[in-house]
Order: sequence, then C-alpha cells, then structure tokens
Amino acid sequence: MERQEARLAWLLVLPALTIIVVIALFPLLWALWESFHVHDLRMPWRGQPWIGLANYVEALTEARFWEAAGHTVLFTVASVTLELTLGLALALVLHRSYRGRGVVRAAALVPWAMPTVVAALVWRFLFESPLGVVNALATELGLMEQPFVWFIHATAAWVPLVLADVWKTTPFVALLLLAGLQNIDTTLYEAARIDGASPWRQFLHVTLPLLRPALLVALIFRTLDAVRVFDLVYVLTGGGPGTATEPLALYTFHVLFQRLRFGYGAALSVMIFLLTFAFALVYIRVLGKDLVRTSA
Amino acid sequence: MNAQRRYGLLAAVGVFLVVTLFPVYWAIVASFTPETRLFAAPSLLPTEIVRDHYYALFAERDFWTPIRNSLVVAGTTTLFCVTVGALCAYALARLRFRWKVPILGLILAVTMFPQISLVPPLYLLLRAFHLINTYPGLIFPYVTFAMPLTVWLLVGFFRQLPHELEEAAMVDGAGRLRMLWEIILPLAMPGVATTAILTFVYCWNEFLFAFTFTLGPERYTAPVAIALFRGQYQVSWGQVLAAAVIATAPVTLLILLFQQRIVQGLTAGAVKG
Amino acid sequence: MRTAILYTLAATALTIAACSGQAPHGVIISFPASAVGAEADVLQRQLSRFMQNHPDIQVVQRKTPDAADQRRQLYVQWLNAGASDPDILQLDVIWTPEFAAAGWILSLDPFAPKVEDFFPATVAANRWQGKLYALPWFVDVGMLYWRTDVLDHPPDSFADLSRQTAEVRNRDGLSFGFVWQGARYEGLVTVFLEHLGGFGGRILDEAGHVVVDSSPAISALTYMRDSIYRDEVVPASVLTWQEEQTRFAFQNGQAALMRNWPYAATLLQNHNESRVAGKFAVASMPATPAGSPTAALGGSQLAINANSDHPQAAYAVIAYLTQPEQMLERARLVGQYPSRPALYASEALANALAVSPVQVRRIIEHAVPRPVTPVYAELSEILQIHLHRALTRQQEPAEALADAARAMRKLLTNVDLTQEKEQGRSQEE
Repeated sequence: MERQEARLAWLLVLPALTIIVVIALFPLLWALWESFHVHDLRMPWRGQPWIGLANYVEALTEARFWEAAGHTVLFTVASVTLELTLGLALALVLHRSYRGRGVVRAAALVPWAMPTVVAALVWRFLFESPLGVVNALATELGLMEQPFVWFIHATAAWVPLVLADVWKTTPFVALLLLAGLQNIDTTLYEAARIDGASPWRQFLHVTLPLLRPALLVALIFRTLDAVRVFDLVYVLTGGGPGTATEPLALYTFHVLFQRLRFGYGAALSVMIFLLTFAFALVYIRVLGKDLVRTSA
Repeated sequence: MNAQRRYGLLAAVGVFLVVTLFPVYWAIVASFTPETRLFAAPSLLPTEIVRDHYYALFAERDFWTPIRNSLVVAGTTTLFCVTVGALCAYALARLRFRWKVPILGLILAVTMFPQISLVPPLYLLLRAFHLINTYPGLIFPYVTFAMPLTVWLLVGFFRQLPHELEEAAMVDGAGRLRMLWEIILPLAMPGVATTAILTFVYCWNEFLFAFTFTLGPERYTAPVAIALFRGQYQVSWGQVLAAAVIATAPVTLLILLFQQRIVQGLTAGAVKG
Repeated sequence: MRTAILYTLAATALTIAACSGQAPHGVIISFPASAVGAEADVLQRQLSRFMQNHPDIQVVQRKTPDAADQRRQLYVQWLNAGASDPDILQLDVIWTPEFAAAGWILSLDPFAPKVEDFFPATVAANRWQGKLYALPWFVDVGMLYWRTDVLDHPPDSFADLSRQTAEVRNRDGLSFGFVWQGARYEGLVTVFLEHLGGFGGRILDEAGHVVVDSSPAISALTYMRDSIYRDEVVPASVLTWQEEQTRFAFQNGQAALMRNWPYAATLLQNHNESRVAGKFAVASMPATPAGSPTAALGGSQLAINANSDHPQAAYAVIAYLTQPEQMLERARLVGQYPSRPALYASEALANALAVSPVQVRRIIEHAVPRPVTPVYAELSEILQIHLHRALTRQQEPAEALADAARAMRKLLTNVDLTQEKEQGRSQEE
C-alpha cells in the first residue's frame, strides 16, 4: 500500500518537477559555472579561463558589494515587517462581514494588480519635487516650509521606496492570510470565548497559531522577492543618490549589462541566492518545522 | 458587534481605502490630463480632461495586441500552474513518500536567483529551441518561476483540510485521484482561487522576461508595450498612465469575479458531522 | 473547347500572378527601427525610397526601443547569442569601441566610405584600433537654451550666468535660474563634461591618463554644487531630472536657462504646447578664462552586425541613410543635426532647423567626445556615482573626484587592452 502511494506520489510530482528542472536548472548551473571563470564580453581575447573563487573574493573585498548587501537587508527587513503586520491587519478587516465588503476586497487588491514599473512611476510622481503631491500636501498642511527633494538624500530616498513596496505588496500578503483565516474553524473561537478569553487573547492563542502555515509562506515569498528587488528601485531611485539605495540585484544588473562582466555577475547572483537561502532556512527552522515534516 | 467597534472598523476601512486608492486615483486623473499640464501645477481634482492619451493608445499604437498577448500568456501559465501544481501539491501534502522535503526545497530554491541573472542563460536556452518571440517562449519560463508559489500555496491549503475526509472516502472505496478531484479540490477552492489570482497577476505584470524574450509588437505583453512608450529622451507619460489604467483593469475585474470564491469558507456539514 | 482554352489561359495568368507575388528574390535586411513618433515616420519613408531604388534588397523594420539603455540591453543579449539579425545596429556614440572590441560589429574600411565628408570628431569616435566601425548618422551636442524675453544676451562665463539668473529671478519671478540633467545617469557625465571643459579640465589627457581629479575638475564640480546650494541658481530637483523634466521646466516658462540636446528645440517651438515658443534661442555653454565653451558630443551611429549574412546590402542601406538628402529630411522632420559639415552652408538646412546652422556648426566643431574605449560604460558608471555623491553632498568634490580617479585608473590598468592591440596587428597582417 505504501509503495503504491509512493509511486502515485512520484507520478503526481513528476510533471511539475520536470518542467522546473529542465528550464530552471540550466540557468542556475550556468550561473554557477560562469562564476568560476572570467567572462568579460568587452574583451573576448581574454577567453574564459578558470579562476576559481577569484570573483567571489572580488565581491567580498568590494565596498560597493557590502553597501548593496546592507541596503538589501535593510530593505527586506523594513518592507517585510511592515507588509506582514499591515497584511495581517488588512486580512482581519477583510474577513469581517459588512456591506460592500466585496468591493473593498477588490479595491484592496488593485495595488497588487498594477504593473511594478507603473506603480514605481506613480510613486515617483507623488514624491517629485517641487510639484509632487506629497510635497504639495505637506507644505499646504504646514508640515514643511519648502518642498523637500526626497530623492537626493541618502536616508530620505528610502521612504518612497519602502512605501511603494509596502503599498504594492501588502494586498498579496493580506490575500494569503485571508485564505488562511477562512480555514480556521469558528467553533474554536466560540470555545475560547466560552472560556472567557478576550478578543486579543483569542487572536494570540487561536488565530496566530493556526495561521502559522500561511504566515510562513507569506514570509518566505515576500522575503524572496524583497531580497531580489530590482524593478522598483530601478525606476524609483535608480539606486541613487549616488549608490545610497542600491540593492544587490541592481548592482548585479550594472555588472552584467553595463560592464558586461558575466563571470563576476554570475558570482554576485550566486551570492544573492545564498543570502535568500539563508533567510529561508532561518524561517523554516524557526516557524515551520512541522510544515515540511511528513504527515502522520 | 457593538456600535463603537463597528465605527472603529468602518473608520479603519475608510482610511485604508483612501491610502490604497489614492495613487490609483491620481494615476487615473493624470491619464486624462494633457501632457504639458502633467509637469505644471498638479491638482487633486482634474481641471482639464482630455481623452487624447486613450485615443492615441488604440488609434496610433495598437494596444489591443499587447493586452491579448498578456491574456494568453498569463492565462495559460495560470491554468497550467494550477493544474500541474495541484497534482504536485496534493502529493506533497497528503501522500507519504520519502523525498518531500528535498523536492519542496528544490522547487523553492529555483526562485532564489535574481531574475536579472537568469536572463542571459535563459535567452541562450530559448534561442536554441527557437522559442524566442513565441508564446511558449514566455509560458515555459513563467511556469517555471510561478510554479513554486503555486505549489507552496496549495501545499499549505491542502494540509489544512482535515484528514478525516480522506479516510472517510477511502473507506468508501474511492480512488486517490477521484478523491482529489471530487472532494479535496472543491473544499480547497478558496485556496485554489487565491493561488490562481496570485499566479495570474504575477504573470500579467512580469516585465523582464517579456522584454528580453520577445522581438516585436506581435508578441509584446502589456508591461513591455508600456515601457516602450519611451522615445530616446521623451516619455509619453500621459499614454503610459492611460495604458497602465487599461492594463490594470482586466486584473481588477478578475479579482472582483474571483473574490467571492476566495472567501467561501468551509460550508457547514461537509466536515463536522 | 473554348471553355478549356479560357480555363487554361486563366490558370496560366493566375500562375504567373502567383509567381510574381512571391517574396522578392534578393536579400532581406533587418533594421532596428524607431518605435515612436516622427523618427519612426521619417525612417519608414526613407527606407521605402531605398527599396524602390534597390528592388533586390528588402529592408524589414524591427521595432526596437528608442531609449538607449533599453536598446543596449537587447543588443547585448542578441549579439552575445550570435544572432544574425538585426543586420544593422543603431549605436549611441559611446558604444562603438565597446562593440568593436567585443567583435560584434564589422569594420567598414573594406567599403571605403568617404570619411572626410563627416565631422572629424564623429569619425574619431567611431574608430577602434585605427579602423572605422560605424558611420555617424546624426549628431547631438549639448547646448545652452536661453530666454530671449528675459535676458539680453546669453551668459559667456559662469560668473555671468550666476549674476544674470539672480537678476532675472528677482525681477521676473522665475522659479528656476538654470536647469540641467543631474540624475545619476549618463546625461550627468555629459553635463559635467561641459562644465569641466569650461574650467579647462578634461577626463583623460592626450596620453590617456586619468586627470579628472585635477584642480580645474574640482573647481568645476564645486561650482556645480555651489550653484545648487549656495547660490541657488540651479534647483536641487535637477539631481533627479533627465532630459524631459528639464525640457518641461523650460517649456512651461519656469527657467531662464536650460542645458539640453537639439531635440528640445523643435518641441519648444510648438506654439500649442510651449509657453516659450519664439522666445528662446540657443548658444554655447559658458566658460571661464581658463577653459573654453564645451559641448558634449553625442548622436547615433549605424554599424553592421558582425554575424550578418548580407554585409554588402547592409552597407548599402547605411550609405543611403547617411546621404545628404536623407540627412536634410531628418533635420526638417525631426530636428536632428546632420553629421556632414558641408550641409551647414545650405539654405535647406537653415529653413529646416529652428536654430542657425552656422552657430550649430561652430558648436559641433568644438564638441568634445567622451573617452573612446571599450570600457567607457564602466568609466562612466564610476564617474556618475561619484559626481552624484558630491552633488548630493554625500562627499566633498575633491574627495569624490579623487576616489573616482583612483577607481578609473585601477580599471584602466586592470583592463588589459594591450592584447587587443596585438590581435589587431595580427589581423592586419
């Protein structure tokens, strides 16, 4: 019986696995291979000699790499924290019954439905100086005397960046958590209420634990995306001022397509992969041990 | 719910709606504003409304084709991902076999590379198979990178369903696959609908692959067409925003249609009984 | 019987018609065409004429992005994969040495084009290792646009510029004095180049050594920074602006002076949309006594894909598009400047351009090219980052330029271009 089950399982898994392996594995292995070689398109006469870990050493000794890594971690932590918190709040609100909630739900998802480059453009306009809406409003309300040029200050430039990302992807998290909320058996809440638990305690002891699988998935995928963020930054700040908002993926883009250094760029990609992998490992260790264990 | 809580909730919803929709509102207003006014003084309420940008989109530039292409690619990818992904997820969630963890890990690992790094090798691969500027040339990469999300989401949703379901059905003598089709899927419909929407939107808005793996307007998707409204120096901002409004519309409609499904809870009686 | 004859005749006629309706024999050249606007129209027109003159060559337009960075990204993908189309490539002036070194474009020397008919600087920018790799299609130069209704004459020196803009802003209430492109991109390097030349500095000296940390360069960058924060001649927003934002600022009447490329002139003359139509003129950028008025040299070049199956036909297209009549048509319809000096004496050009050809020619002849090297993109990136840091006050100009120079020198030493010279020599043997 178990052998049969295992065979059926393989049959079901194989289509998905095959496609992924055929299409995704090639680029990954290619990148790994390239990362151990010199491959500078500008100088084909150098060939593509093996240089072992030299590309990785170059990255690790390059100040700009560490700055970019720092920016990436900062961005990831800030946006994922905000998105998870706000997403959960939003899911709870959407979960309730009230009139017109269908429309509210659809409206809530519109930011997610907008193409990233367009969302980035819109947020750029909003924070433009001197005539962007944010500046106009702030000066109108007396919060500032003069329009503030957001994008030329190393710290201030992060504000529109994080806000745009949170605005855009909180609906994704909310939707995920909402589906998770739907699956929680309402009788559990009744039981808790009968036991005298306040709404907050119900939330802590009924909702959160049962939401853990959904939270884990949301956390993993949002982190994956945040660590690899590219489009948003490219359009919104271009990595500027200077390189103050440049994340790793944008640095990699410059290396690949400006400097045409495919070998070094591949090494950077592998390092981004390792960073993401580290994050995922931590999450699974802390949050999701039982999620991936074989079911009883 | 008492009155105070109700008002609190409505206020929260109100604030949320304003914050969420303001940028969208602004984009819509801007898409009806003449080009030069866009960079002059902005105003919250439109002072001048023109339909030039929308007209230009369809009369001067054929915007129907990119929309069609986006629909085909995103639709096919979603259907494929949800179908194949559901099979895979069911096995990973409910069947017993040894390689679950490595497989889940592998599926996830595939999405850990930055997209930009995948472009050069994927281009070479697709070119070798003559898939550049074709629908499959986009669908295959999209499936590969959307599938992890699909599988992981569905695994989560399938796991949440009670085990008694399957035991009951097995006692009745139903085969595994029939069980999947007739019992599991309908009950997991909220999860499946959610997964479908998220996958569809992901594909609809994808830019980098679509930009690199297509060669001309006949296969450009909507985001690529929008990005190409740029001249050497000039950007037709009005048209870009109009196109964005139009590009966001089908997805919004889809969401409106699907959101009913998403929030169907477990109907009473199917399980507890 | 008659039916049979008629039938046969009809069939024969149809067959002949079908045969002549087949794809024309001869070569098919694909050309990366403008996707947008007047440029697309002009190109379409000129290519149709070419095909009428050359019935054995069919030119297929492949719409490519006009935006330089997007186009470059696609070119890199295609050429790296060894694609044989598009047969012709439209290159930004700074890409030629890079594409030539990478082996992606063909040397045009075998076709013996008459290079003396083009501006020398544009030809020099298209040479790598002594060989010509592209023909200049049209020329772009950085120019100073000034408001004739608020200023008597354009400023000759930077000191003049500061003084005049201060007066004008007090008197006429303009929001901005002088606007230029200061976002962190290639445009910033061209703007810096123009200020640099005005102070007497250079990026590389004649021997190819990096001198961007010299004292004229520091003065130029310091001037640029002070003009924003201390003198408030230039608004801080320019540090996020590219060409279009500066054009709109000038076009809406908010600025007295603008530095921009020629394309803006045509748009500024549009009476329906521009508030400064008929109220502006063009001049060279200002300078100090230590330097001279400098314009950054830009423009587009046409090259042949090294993997093209039909280089001869491709060259025929390129040669046609760079002929005087085609250049004049472009000038008339799109406002782009021809790359042939002889045309600047013609009346046709005077009628076509919104600006005096004599003046434009003078500006072009004093235009300064950016360093001609395959690693220019990386040099530029280093410079952009450090310039932007200095201008956003993250670093002092002297420090920023010192860092930039150091990185640039390190790059030029690490980049082993000597082997290319060996290879180039052996190819000539």
